[in-house]
Amino acid sequence: MDPTIEVAGLRKRYGSTVAVDDLTFTVRPGEVTGFVGPNGAGKSTTMRIVLGLDAADAGTALVGGRPYRSLRTPLTEVGALLDAEAVHPGRRAGDHLLWMAQSNGLPAGRVGEVLDQVGLTSAARRRAGGFSLGMRQRLGIAAAMLGDPPVLIFDEPVNGLDPEGIRWIRGYLRGLAAEGRAILVSSHLMSELEETADHLVVIGRGRMVADTSVADLVAGASGTRVLLRTSQRTEAMTLLARAGATVAAVDHDAVTVDGLSSERIAALLGEARVPFSALGAHRATLEEAYMELTRDAVEFGAREPAP
Amino acid sequence: MTYSSTVPSRGAGFTQVLNAEWTKLRSLRSTWICVALTIGLTILLAYVAGSGNTTDANDFGPQRVFSVQLVHQPLTGDGSIVARVADQDVTGPDAKAGLMITAPVPAPGGKEGGDPDPRYAAVMVTPGHGVQWQSGFSHTAAGSSDPAPRWLKLTRTGSVVTGYESVDGVTWTQVGTNDVTGLPTTASVGLFVASPPTGLKSIRRSPTAIESSPDYTLSTATFESVGLSGGDGVPITGAWEHLDTDGAPRELPDDNVAGSFTEDAGRFTVSGAGDLGIQPPGFGADNDVVRDSLFGILIGFISMAVVATLFITTEFRRGTIRTTFTATPHRGRVLAAKSAVLAALAFLTGVAAAVPAFLISQPLLRENGFTPPAYPTVSLTDGPVARAVVGTGLVLALLALLALALGAWLRSGAAAITVVITLVVLPLVIGPFLTLEGEAWLKRTTPGAGMAIQQTRERWDDVIGPWPGIAVLCVWVGVAMVAAAVQLRRRDA
Repeated sequence: MDPTIEVAGLRKRYGSTVAVDDLTFTVRPGEVTGFVGPNGAGKSTTMRIVLGLDAADAGTALVGGRPYRSLRTPLTEVGALLDAEAVHPGRRAGDHLLWMAQSNGLPAGRVGEVLDQVGLTSAARRRAGGFSLGMRQRLGIAAAMLGDPPVLIFDEPVNGLDPEGIRWIRGYLRGLAAEGRAILVSSHLMSELEETADHLVVIGRGRMVADTSVADLVAGASGTRVLLRTSQRTEAMTLLARAGATVAAVDHDAVTVDGLSSERIAALLGEARVPFSALGAHRATLEEAYMELTRDAVEFGAREPAP
Repeated sequence: MTYSSTVPSRGAGFTQVLNAEWTKLRSLRSTWICVALTIGLTILLAYVAGSGNTTDANDFGPQRVFSVQLVHQPLTGDGSIVARVADQDVTGPDAKAGLMITAPVPAPGGKEGGDPDPRYAAVMVTPGHGVQWQSGFSHTAAGSSDPAPRWLKLTRTGSVVTGYESVDGVTWTQVGTNDVTGLPTTASVGLFVASPPTGLKSIRRSPTAIESSPDYTLSTATFESVGLSGGDGVPITGAWEHLDTDGAPRELPDDNVAGSFTEDAGRFTVSGAGDLGIQPPGFGADNDVVRDSLFGILIGFISMAVVATLFITTEFRRGTIRTTFTATPHRGRVLAAKSAVLAALAFLTGVAAAVPAFLISQPLLRENGFTPPAYPTVSLTDGPVARAVVGTGLVLALLALLALALGAWLRSGAAAITVVITLVVLPLVIGPFLTLEGEAWLKRTTPGAGMAIQQTRERWDDVIGPWPGIAVLCVWVGVAMVAAAVQLRRRDA
């Protein structure tokens, strides 16, 4: 059976709040799939349903073609890091990993191996209460790797890591994907996934916004938009809007134009004798593409996402 | 290109989960601090119980009791009395109905503690020990082991009195005979009834004052074919007089143990309480020295309840329950494994607390007067003592399981600890403000009923037997466990 995560028609509501609404996507082996959406979009809920922790109201979530709860030794099939804070502060890091290993009949030697992988060997006998958030993230990743599973689920793994740690985890995830594992990584910041993810599942308010490769998403968001630089911004905007275009100011001397081709814009500006210094296709960043996609879907618009 | 795990697994069955849960429990310092507290508190309270309890139960010698209902008339010189005890209420194995000859007794006589050789002789039937002979308080003999109905006969020849029994009033068998020195020429002779207390009767005067007294019950006996004759065999027909030689104490308001006597066409009906004979020293000393030394486990339990509830509620609070349930999706298996390791730890803790508690308190209690004969020396190898000591571990394990189940059910450590301690301790706190019956009912139905396993002798304040008490606690644990399992399965983690 291929290591995959298949989510189909998933729905979950808590009271009157719809957390996940008809979500369908697949996480394929050999790829890092970014799971993106603003806070409260339903990413964590979806992950909990995949892991059999929460029950879906409708739809299915399968891991390697089977419901999670039917896995015989789950840790050798799926590794998960949901919440780096979910460690008893009074327990030594090594003991935390040991009970997990024992629960799935894994060799106790795995504890030392995974601690080594994440660079926590020296902290094995320290109690988790004294760990920084970054160390807890590493401990959580070590826990996910105990059973050397082909499917990995990480919820916001970059949170709390220092720049060196962020670089490390990007390389680590790429490496795991290169081995043929299926990896689902969530983030509320598209930029965090820019150099990591191959594929993106974007959700907002529990609904699917985009299920696409990174390259397609950027191209799609760029569309037919044209960037115009002119010293007479106001005149240009009035003129082009009258001609039926959607115009947006992006700088004191720059506007983006939707709905008219470059040739038509050039002709209109020439007729009206409005000078312009540049006219060309606009290339969106991943972040812009994402903002575009989720503009309507942001649940807590006033809240700036934490860096 | 796909990947599959290179790590070998021995499976994720119950044994593996058991291992994991034990690692969780043992890897926290708080577990061992609480275990030490449980043991320490229990031993401390055993020390307090041992050094603070005193008794004077052995300071009084054997008590002579002459408290009977006597229906008598004077007999001068030799003679004999015959009667058939047709019927006797079974109010205890030692209820007495029979014939007596005695020096005239002033009414009320009460205890004859001062007389070195009381002048009386009696033959009687008892429900539990057949036909008995008594003379003074020093001579006894036993006849047949059959209870009433039975013919009895008492004969005086000079100062020698002899008692006989018979099934038909024709063939007589001697039960006992004694030379009752000092028996006056004119003695009282007649029928008597007594019924010693079979337990203690208690009433609550106030939340802190309980009065206990011997629980006397009236026993009624019917005598037929009563015949009194002189030494020449000539029947004597005189008037029968009823004398109550102070059958029972009367302090208790609801105590209705006044004796009575009626005669109807040759049938003599005599009712009475009281006793005739010697009460051993320490009679009424009923402290349970084993239970007293182990009772502190209830305070030690509070510390164990913390370990038990936090064993699961901390997982909910910290979110590790999600890690647990991803590693073991079978949630019932997690609850079972937690129960098993916790019960084992609590059982061993309970026994580890009970053994030293017992060994420390017993010498202290002996110094304070708890010695034979009132208080026989007890040892760990006695059946009831071993049951109490091992049972202390058992009751601690069951109470810990109750705390765990409540924790899994309520998912809040504070709530679960409060509920379990309330259930166990509250009956002890509010019980004194209830009637004795109300308090007994409360103690019988709440989880603390399991503490009855520590009883090693019958006491007036027992509310339930050792094993039924454990059964009550098991029901509580069972119900809470089922609720917890259903809740774990249904609710999102």
